[in-house]
Amino acid sequence: MPRKVNHGLDYDEDYDAYDDYDDYDYDYGADGNDYENDNGNSSQQGTKVSRPRIWQCSICTYDNDESSLSCEICGIIRDCSANFDNNDKDKAIDMSKSSEASIMGKSNLTQVPSAPLQTEITSVGFPSKKASKSFGKASRDVEDATKSLASNLDHLKLNNNTMNSKKAPSRTPYKSEKWMFQDQEQGILSQLNLAIVGHVDSGKSTLSGRLLYLLGRISKREMHKYEKGAKEMGKGSFAYAWAMDESYEERERGITMTVAVAYFDSKKYRIVLLDSPGHKDFVPNMISGATQADAAVLVVDASVGSFEAGMDGNGVGQTREHAQLIRSFGVEQIIVAVNKMDMVGYSKERFNFIKLQLSSFLRSRGFKDSSVTWIPISAMENQNLVEAASDVRFSGWYQGLCLLDAIDSLQPPLRDFSKPLILPICDVIKSQSMGQVAACGKLETGAIRHGSKVLVMPSGDLATVRSIERDSSTCSVARAGDNVAVSLQGIDSGLVMPGGVLCHPDFPVRVATRLELKILVLDNAAPILIGSQVEFHIHHAKEAARVVKILSLLDQKTGQVSRMAPRILKAKQSAVIEVALDGAVCVEEYSKCRALGRAFLRSSGSTIAVGVVTRVPEPDL
Amino acid sequence: MKLVRRDLVPNGPGSVKVVPEEDDDMWHAYNLICEGDSVQAVTVRKVLKEKASGGRDAERVKLKLEIKVESVDYDKEGSVLRIRGKNILENEHVKIGQFHTLQIEPHRPFVLRKDVWDSMARDVLQQACDPSASADLAVILMQEGLAHLFLIGKSITATRSRIETSIPRKHGPAIAGYESALKKFFENVLQALLKHIDFKVVRCVVIASPGFTKDQFRDYLLLEAERRQLRSIIENKSHLILAHSTSGYKHSLKEVLDAPSVMTLIKDTKAAQEVRALKDFFNMLSNDTARACYGPKHVEVAHERMAVQTLLITDSLFKNSDISTRQKYIKLVESVKDSGGAVHIFSSMHVSGEQLAQLTGIAAILRFPLPDLEDIEM
Repeated sequence: MPRKVNHGLDYDEDYDAYDDYDDYDYDYGADGNDYENDNGNSSQQGTKVSRPRIWQCSICTYDNDESSLSCEICGIIRDCSANFDNNDKDKAIDMSKSSEASIMGKSNLTQVPSAPLQTEITSVGFPSKKASKSFGKASRDVEDATKSLASNLDHLKLNNNTMNSKKAPSRTPYKSEKWMFQDQEQGILSQLNLAIVGHVDSGKSTLSGRLLYLLGRISKREMHKYEKGAKEMGKGSFAYAWAMDESYEERERGITMTVAVAYFDSKKYRIVLLDSPGHKDFVPNMISGATQADAAVLVVDASVGSFEAGMDGNGVGQTREHAQLIRSFGVEQIIVAVNKMDMVGYSKERFNFIKLQLSSFLRSRGFKDSSVTWIPISAMENQNLVEAASDVRFSGWYQGLCLLDAIDSLQPPLRDFSKPLILPICDVIKSQSMGQVAACGKLETGAIRHGSKVLVMPSGDLATVRSIERDSSTCSVARAGDNVAVSLQGIDSGLVMPGGVLCHPDFPVRVATRLELKILVLDNAAPILIGSQVEFHIHHAKEAARVVKILSLLDQKTGQVSRMAPRILKAKQSAVIEVALDGAVCVEEYSKCRALGRAFLRSSGSTIAVGVVTRVPEPDL
Repeated sequence: MKLVRRDLVPNGPGSVKVVPEEDDDMWHAYNLICEGDSVQAVTVRKVLKEKASGGRDAERVKLKLEIKVESVDYDKEGSVLRIRGKNILENEHVKIGQFHTLQIEPHRPFVLRKDVWDSMARDVLQQACDPSASADLAVILMQEGLAHLFLIGKSITATRSRIETSIPRKHGPAIAGYESALKKFFENVLQALLKHIDFKVVRCVVIASPGFTKDQFRDYLLLEAERRQLRSIIENKSHLILAHSTSGYKHSLKEVLDAPSVMTLIKDTKAAQEVRALKDFFNMLSNDTARACYGPKHVEVAHERMAVQTLLITDSLFKNSDISTRQKYIKLVESVKDSGGAVHIFSSMHVSGEQLAQLTGIAAILRFPLPDLEDIEM
């Protein structure tokens, strides 16, 4: 029975607050047609005045009769799928705009409908090649409409919060296609993205290398090569880590500097292994890797002294910071692999000691006891990795799962196939031949296949998918949860960069420089004042940022506003703040898309706050 | 700045003749010259002349003008100072009352006449004419894909260059791409270094980064210097210092200045003192919140209760064109000094000054805690 002990600050509450959004997701993703009903519902609010039913065309601002489907002057088709009461004319404008956008598409330059998109993009300072200069007066009108629209949109969103609809009703419903859903009968293994994190030198890369070798992903010859090379360099014990650390720098120093990706299959899953750096300086890289994770393996060094060093709270120990970050990514399932058991002679006492210490810590961070699995292993001696332990000292007291079985026992994460495509770009590979660009990353929602058109944000250019590669083998379709490299055609390679997002052309992701966040300040963090300069991390993007306003302080227990405009934020406080970024990033509110809504603030080499994006203010036009 | 002639009464009218020499001096001149003062210098003006044939001819004439200052414009990036005002000296080409823009140029003397030489102005003058060596430190702050080059002077920190490239990750076949992209990045930084750093003036170069980028860059630098026979770098090899920082962004500069190895170099300069004072303020803020405050209103209230022990203020507050506000701050500074407190005037061109400016520009460490300050509205 887990003991119910109150560990001071109840982090659970906070994370539950974040989890609240879960409910919305399920309603949302189930049926694409939900949107229509929602639209109808929201229009019923506050409609008392009856007027002749007209709708105003956004281009020529001509009042058309409700019955006509297209504007009589300019011929723009109105989308009838939303039945809006005309008390709110602006909603209709919004409708016609977005419908035009989806119909005309961005390729048609002379059409003003793409202007709303353009103005948003150009206003954040990106050189839009399709300059709206040719639009002239028409675009100005649209801008005015957009301004009034912006305030209305916000108003709409606030209203709709209570109605369980997360998408602004202005967009046309997204119709997901049949090929996007995963075929359960075919027996394809489902994907699992596993992140390996932990304190520096705990054995993460060695563990990954071992697993790959044992499961046959690395041939004996390759292993032999690594061993020889490592011995020559005087780092014989790092032989297995060389499978993951491929660059000269990493091998020379014996550390991992960036996240290495490897693929292997277990009985139940196709696993993507994300081997993260443990060094304090490389935490930004680790954040980038952990964004993609569904579950995590926290590797802890069991040897005397190392475990204590990893748990050091003064910011030196990465075990704590990594566990905190992993939890903030929404990862609930974690396997704690207590490595280097051979150094402590496979002692049960040591294992239990570590388990006791860590479990209280993990509980305080918000991990439920039921979702934490404890596996003692030794990567060097190959004990308890893919089969039960062979060493007598070990098997004497340990009869639990081996690591691979523990991985199999993880719950499969829920994938959102029915939402429009979102792929945060982790890496960009430019191939010299034919000037191609390939963007790597994990699909968060939706699906793509050969020939799909995608929009590359933040630049906003269209590209076509040439091929999709997963684990060096081409596949025709990629769905939510897959970690792939997408080769793009028709776009300048300079426009695709890590931190960008590939999305559906009709449902572009927002780009902003000012954001409103709800944050939780971590322990050991310096106080945050107005004007504090921090580094802002969100999915794979990072920017320098400044805290512009501290809007309100939130009470931990209730989540209600306890104080307006406080002067200073201290550790363990929760607040709503506004930040201004140096450069624009692709972002969505947390309630709309979780992967694009989680943010981290770092300063002076440690993470000072974790948070979610609550609002993306419309850019000041 | 070289002082040629000085003729003033403290807190009274007077004039000085000075010759600015370096970029720092432009900043000091900017702090000195206010609206209502008069500046006399040699300048060039386009003059229209009537030709015999009746057509007009524009001629550039060098003449000495004295103008009453109406606005001062300082260009941070180019370190150029422009003063606009009405002419008050009789001149054959320019009428009295005509507008003119003077550009203060290095190594050219100008005369500044003020109605009131308050303590602030006298301090600035004294600092500017102080012949002691300036900090003159060059700092390269980098991380993979991003680098900043700073030149830290006595009172200004100039960002000389910013280099940003996208470097791909390194696994699988893309390793070659990573190496070449990194080399290109280092090459760009090297070029910036050669262009902006004058090793005769700069005493030493600090290379700072998280991780191992700094070591990689240093090795690259020395290798290339050998290969291309870059004398300036080879001779100054010993002046290269490595330091650790947490990121390549601008605000990490203060951490670099805080590092012990760098601190020893800039120990007695203004920049170091500022960094230390600001660090004390933040420490106090995290340890005992009631003993530190920021914002003009809070600091005033604290001062009324004689609670201010250390006052931190940026010089941009004195640059207010509103005379009364300027007077108010000068009085505040003087009274804090009188009551035994310490005053640190931060140059808003330094990183710590910029940070203080973000926090409204004025802050104080108090002698005793004042918890009820929290309730007072900013």
